[in-house]
Amino acid sequence: MASNHASMFTNPVLKWVDERFPMTGMIKEHLTEYYAPKNFNFWYYFGSLALLVLVLQIVTGIFLTMNYKPDAAYAFGSVEYIMRDVDYGWLIRYMHSTGASAFFIVVYLHMCRGLMYGSYRKPRELLWIFGMLIYLCLMAEAFFGYLLPWGQMSFWGAQVIVNIFSAIPFVGPDLAVWIRGDYSIGDATLNRFFAFHVIALPLVLIGLVAAHILALHEVGSNNPDGIEIKKNKDPKTGIPLDGIAFHPYYTVKDIVGVVVFLMIFTIIVFFLPDMGGYFLEANNFIPADPLKTPEHIAPVWYFTPYYSILRAIPPLFGSQFPGVIGMGMATMIFFALPWLDRGAVKSIRYRGTLYKSFFAMFIVCFIVLGYLGVKPTSVWGQLGDWATFVDTKERATWVARFLTIGYFAFFFLMPWYTKADKTKPEPARVTMH
Amino acid sequence: MKLKTLLSILVLSVTAIIPVAAFANEGPEIRYVGVTADRTDSASLQRGARLFVNYCLGCHSAQYMRYNRLTDLHLTEDQIKQNLMFTTDKIGDVMKAAINPKDAKEWFGAAPPDLSVMARSYSTEKLGAYLRGFYQDDKRDTGWNNLVSPNIGMPHVLQELSGVNKLVETHYKIDGNEIKTEHEAEAKAQAQFIASPTMASFEHHADKKDGKVENTYIVRTLVNAVPGKMSAADYDIAVADLVNFMDYVAEPNKAKRIQIGIMMLFLLSFLLGAAIWMKKEFWKDVH
Repeated sequence: MASNHASMFTNPVLKWVDERFPMTGMIKEHLTEYYAPKNFNFWYYFGSLALLVLVLQIVTGIFLTMNYKPDAAYAFGSVEYIMRDVDYGWLIRYMHSTGASAFFIVVYLHMCRGLMYGSYRKPRELLWIFGMLIYLCLMAEAFFGYLLPWGQMSFWGAQVIVNIFSAIPFVGPDLAVWIRGDYSIGDATLNRFFAFHVIALPLVLIGLVAAHILALHEVGSNNPDGIEIKKNKDPKTGIPLDGIAFHPYYTVKDIVGVVVFLMIFTIIVFFLPDMGGYFLEANNFIPADPLKTPEHIAPVWYFTPYYSILRAIPPLFGSQFPGVIGMGMATMIFFALPWLDRGAVKSIRYRGTLYKSFFAMFIVCFIVLGYLGVKPTSVWGQLGDWATFVDTKERATWVARFLTIGYFAFFFLMPWYTKADKTKPEPARVTMH
Repeated sequence: MKLKTLLSILVLSVTAIIPVAAFANEGPEIRYVGVTADRTDSASLQRGARLFVNYCLGCHSAQYMRYNRLTDLHLTEDQIKQNLMFTTDKIGDVMKAAINPKDAKEWFGAAPPDLSVMARSYSTEKLGAYLRGFYQDDKRDTGWNNLVSPNIGMPHVLQELSGVNKLVETHYKIDGNEIKTEHEAEAKAQAQFIASPTMASFEHHADKKDGKVENTYIVRTLVNAVPGKMSAADYDIAVADLVNFMDYVAEPNKAKRIQIGIMMLFLLSFLLGAAIWMKKEFWKDVH
């Protein structure tokens, strides 16, 4: 790579580096000569924002590690020590706890963008798969991290999630003990979760992010019109006619997005760090107590759509395994998306009513399932006395069941409705709205 | 598809589901009444600190809070040493209870919980109601019960200030006389509950008798039987001060946090202006 590019530097030190390392080549390939479509809209801020949050989490995480103690006897106290006695420890901790939720908000919006504009379609299947692996990795990272403050919710949330594994037939109970390293969540669990949270998963995450970006720059970015800008190149330069250099155009545009994001982030970190109990739960200010089960255990908001699906699926012969399968499928099915979609167009702009209806239904299902997951199943009361033939009278459970069907219908019926959909013709060149 | 169309579909479908949510949960409902204090009022925080060390610190610790931190409340270290430190003589020490935790567990059934972050796990509103909610109950070992946390092990330590309250329980059900329908029973109970000038609890009780459901609506309020050192109004303020102090102890950096947040927003809005200008300048040549 390096030899193909003349060094862009006149500074002798940088020139010296360039003769030994593909610095100029990399800057050109990924920034100054990476051509992105010029019609990116609001939805295209979230990729760079996800990268920003990753860096924020790693940096704040390093500083937290300097004072945190991964020991069941000291963990809770060390977090309070950080909050009170460490200079600006409260700021670092709030940035990290808010950052965790911000990460999921940004990633969910980033994925929603991918769904809307068909960014997972050929030739970007592998890019999508890397993205999905990042998402799974992020969920594991968040789950392990949530145990570390060693509050009541940390403890019981982890207990519930690890118990999900014990629902697997035959090997389940042994598997759960193997994960915990004990018969219940304990010091051994805290230590291994700490190891996973601060080193194992971050390493995997960074590797996957690098692969995600490399794959993106290989195939090029999609855009809100869902058409390939590489089809129309300048015959002389070979640069796509609708492409603009990532740097400076998108770096300066993303800076605007970063500042807006930081303003919202600031409002939460400095004025609403608990976010009404959704980012930091009230119960987590009570030290973990294995003898006192909280009245209502709910996972953090970003897991709740899946948790709702787990709860909604009725047990079979007294085993919760079908629910576990349902929950696992709900997360994994995203991987199949590039092969489920048979639409003639990629972008929602040129799809027909059929696709749009299914898409809207899916978003509603996801959000309402998420809402139900933070609430107890009694939240919407009971069905009337007429409901004698059902296994549960809880209204919310029934709503969650219908929404679960809606959730899966979006995927399972996709080969049919994307093909049957009446699409509009795609434009030849990108449009600027 | 236009974003607007998409959003309107979303909103419509969500609102179609919401009406189902309008369904109340059963269980006792508490109406919190009482004044609240201002977090920036250091006189209130100082009074709260005095109440805390005099009445709470005997049994409860605040093991993550250091005495010298109380200089936040505009107190000098000497003032803290002379007025607030009883369990230790080192200003850098944390606020430890005087009681031996083992004895405490034996005497009260459970060790009194640490109060460092109590105001974050229970809302300040609920803490205030709890401290106002004690009443005399001879069935309990301690002689006390609480409207907010029934059958709690803690006795009423602020009794000398508040005096002794007694429980007044009113049952509303069909008696064929004044109350003829269930709806009337509920309405009357609700009216008393909402109009109560002091804290009150409302509970719906459904008993099955001979295959029939009998609904009872119970309203509980407190009345003063023996006056304490303080008038009811003064006790109300004392509780507000104490809760205010506990809220401070739960997050001593809160005031600083909000201050820095405002500065950050100012800074970021300037940065936003600059960033938008820079973006516009660069994008002039994109057509």
